[in-house]
Amino acid sequence: MSDLDKAIALLRACRLIPENQVRELCYKARELLIEEGNVVGVDAPVTICGDIHGQFHDLMELFRVGGDVPDTNYLFMGDFVDRGFYSLESFLLLLCLKVRYPDRITLIRGNHESRQITTVYGFYDECLRKYGSANVWRYCCEVFDYLALGALVSGAATNLEPTSATLADTFVDTDDSQSSTPATDYADIDIEVLNANNEILSRYRRRDRDPLMSSSPVRGGMSGSNGAPRAAGAAGTGATADSGGSASNDGGAVLCVHGGLSPLIDTIDKIRLLDRKQEVPHEGAMCDLLWSDPDEIDGWGLSPRGAGFLFGADIVKCFNHRNDLSLIARAHQLVMEGFKEMFDATIVTVWSAPNYCYRCGNVAAILELAEDGSNAGFARSNGDAGRSRGLPMPMPMPMPGIGPGGLQGQGQGQGQGQGGGGLIPRQMDIGHRMAPGRRYRVFEAAPQDSRGMPAKKPVADYFL
Amino acid sequence: MSRRTLARLDPAAAHAFAPPVKRIHDGDDVSFFLGSTAYADIMTFIFQLNAAMFPQKSADPGAPAQVWRLGDQDRDDDFGPSVAGLRGLLAELEAFIAEAPPDPGPRRFGNVSFRAWYELVISRAASLLDKYLPARALSFGKDESTASSKTELQAYFLGSFGSAQRLDYGTGHELSFLAFLGCLWKFGVFPEDDPGVQERAIVLGVFEPYLRLVRKLILTYTLEPAGSHGVWGLDDHFFLPYIFGSAQLSPAISSAEEIPPEGSVANAPKPADVAKASAVERERKSNMYFSAIGFIYDVKKGPFWEHSPILFDISGVKAGWAKINKGMLKMYNAEVLSKFPVVQHFPFGSLFAWEKDPAAMPPAASAHTTSQPQARQNVDGQSAARHPAGAQMQGGTRAPWAPGGAADHTAWAGATPTSRVPAQSTALLPTRAPWAAGNSTALPTAPGSRPQGPRGTAAGQPGVPQTRAPWAAGSGAGGQHS
Repeated sequence: MSDLDKAIALLRACRLIPENQVRELCYKARELLIEEGNVVGVDAPVTICGDIHGQFHDLMELFRVGGDVPDTNYLFMGDFVDRGFYSLESFLLLLCLKVRYPDRITLIRGNHESRQITTVYGFYDECLRKYGSANVWRYCCEVFDYLALGALVSGAATNLEPTSATLADTFVDTDDSQSSTPATDYADIDIEVLNANNEILSRYRRRDRDPLMSSSPVRGGMSGSNGAPRAAGAAGTGATADSGGSASNDGGAVLCVHGGLSPLIDTIDKIRLLDRKQEVPHEGAMCDLLWSDPDEIDGWGLSPRGAGFLFGADIVKCFNHRNDLSLIARAHQLVMEGFKEMFDATIVTVWSAPNYCYRCGNVAAILELAEDGSNAGFARSNGDAGRSRGLPMPMPMPMPGIGPGGLQGQGQGQGQGQGGGGLIPRQMDIGHRMAPGRRYRVFEAAPQDSRGMPAKKPVADYFL
Repeated sequence: MSRRTLARLDPAAAHAFAPPVKRIHDGDDVSFFLGSTAYADIMTFIFQLNAAMFPQKSADPGAPAQVWRLGDQDRDDDFGPSVAGLRGLLAELEAFIAEAPPDPGPRRFGNVSFRAWYELVISRAASLLDKYLPARALSFGKDESTASSKTELQAYFLGSFGSAQRLDYGTGHELSFLAFLGCLWKFGVFPEDDPGVQERAIVLGVFEPYLRLVRKLILTYTLEPAGSHGVWGLDDHFFLPYIFGSAQLSPAISSAEEIPPEGSVANAPKPADVAKASAVERERKSNMYFSAIGFIYDVKKGPFWEHSPILFDISGVKAGWAKINKGMLKMYNAEVLSKFPVVQHFPFGSLFAWEKDPAAMPPAASAHTTSQPQARQNVDGQSAARHPAGAQMQGGTRAPWAPGGAADHTAWAGATPTSRVPAQSTALLPTRAPWAAGNSTALPTAPGSRPQGPRGTAAGQPGVPQTRAPWAAGSGAGGQHS
């Protein structure tokens, strides 16, 4: 067993490795990361994960639900550290896995992977407490500076691969005429939600989101306001139109970034030009990518966080169109249901820290994108309304008597409601990529009974 | 040598009130604050309340000490009219919850109906104060100036219940309520009495019900811990109950001058009991420290040592509750009052004044030299290591961001923490509703060619457990403070 494998075994058991090994690990990781571009290219299949925040046992649960490394390819969108009790164990394990299986795991930077933020939000304190000095914190911060800013997933299939999963008792199919058996024909299905026991909780068919048929798009997550799974209409109103009638099963690329977009970045190539090897600045493109949030607004808005910006549906749709993206996956915001698709499924928030901070009561999610090649030759039925006609997609069709507002239903009880950012010209939609099939696995916090209490209570200095 | 109680104003003397305004804009302002009369008054008031919560030695040497437990007095007629009025005020605020039931609709985290509740408070604040406060407080020193006693009272009152914009609550709001009570003290609302009597009435009769109200607000509207440090904060929302509650369990004293540095009153629960659910359940009824811990048990799932490691560590203190009390006071000074993100929006008027305190010559802080333990004289060489980011990023210039700037001044203030145990912090609410027109339309333009925020965007953002930039001004939409 190599030293690295030993370290992995130790960390998997939630035990720390010695400081000199951390130094060595961080050195190796930096050598590896320095070779990566600001936007890492990643091939599907891949499982995309959101914030972890030091919730080590929940990270283990994530691996149990999503499959272990290296059997499953992972892409973690940052915020490994701060707030939780096990930021060190979590980050060092991920780093070990990165060094051990560099092609199987991708780590990109979150806004918490920063010197200034970690001194405020806990990781620095944790390092002092667990190693007795700031050395390990310093090593980790040097790694943070080399983490990529984003990833571009290509080769994701538009269709979901069939699985052996069974239906959960609470399963809700969006098509009432279907009998409750696992579908064998996944051609229509672009979202499937599974629980931690590999049971299917719900499915959403593309045609359900046809603007003519759907009036209650899913806001994301698997359940509605009352906690029951929502039946109809996934993720926006019409993000399903074929890309100009193309027969390709290529879902278009998926950009993964921790926070979101920046007013200074209109193409992915501009991200590639940034000098990322530094502490996260307080403003500018690099800062925005790690700090911004999508919101139900038009254009850009100031962020209540004091860093980054808010951006609306129009911004996302423009950006995706211009960069030939079908979807942006990002993290950065707690969502009670683990994931949340917005703006007609052009952007999704993935959150992977269940019962955040021991109290938020949320479930976590990971997003699996399948590989296009696995479906090669698969003949899609081509007769669905709204798909074969190549409707101008992302927006609801302005129908007589049905204003766009009536079809949105995206206001999250915020009293704003004007989601979608208004209608955008049809021509903008031409060539829009069909979103990849999305399989979300949601899971709850890991059981807590097996965790050992520390024998010693370090005396806090105020109480000496 | 120092004031042991907050001075009451002379009702016969003229007093010029001033609308409280924000004064703290950067780290230098925090250091000025730590030498201001406002700071001295806050610390004096806290020490005064704290000392009163220590058990009292009996005049008869053989008799047991008198301890001050929650619940021993908990009816309105256990108290004088002023305290009873404040209890009525809090009860009415609680009743507003029925008028603003939590929104059942989907949400990310915080419940937007908290804004409706808060709007009720704002719209009724003036009449509520008229109804429940003694006339003495409202007509105090009335003259023709632009502000009245009520102006100042209302500022601190409205800052006490969390941020409607961000749907969060933290120690900045807790501090605001303390200041509200401090104003009332200065007006002589709490009558002259034997030492400690009025103070205990304030803590047990008003402050604890205030905490109960806020806990109910937190649960009802899932208010987010402001600027949450996750497990690395003392408590997600509160600090003062740990001070007053540890005093309740400390050794008995005969006067505030003889506060012991360590020890516990007879039959006190052990500090280690905080990790035992059954002991917490028993003690929370009578003790504020355990009451606060009990609330953590209510809202958090998981092992106590894991979700509350700071409190768990403190439970290992061997030298008793007086030692814990002393540490809590030091920690409050360093982690709440000295932190820019917490105090930056504390408004200053005539009662908590933005004036240099002549008694506060560095390095000694005036107010707490008697009961505050001797300040530790150095930071064990850890100063640089503890603020590495600040050191590296700020260089020689004084940046207006929170952590380095504010904390660097704790040594100057006389209390020098040697570990960075972050208390929960939040910006204090301005006196006006955050969504009020003036606030959201006055969004500053982002620097350079960056886009300007559209009107009112941030107002629709529910408060979620999200990270705010520590260098930001903290008040939501106005965060880009330059």
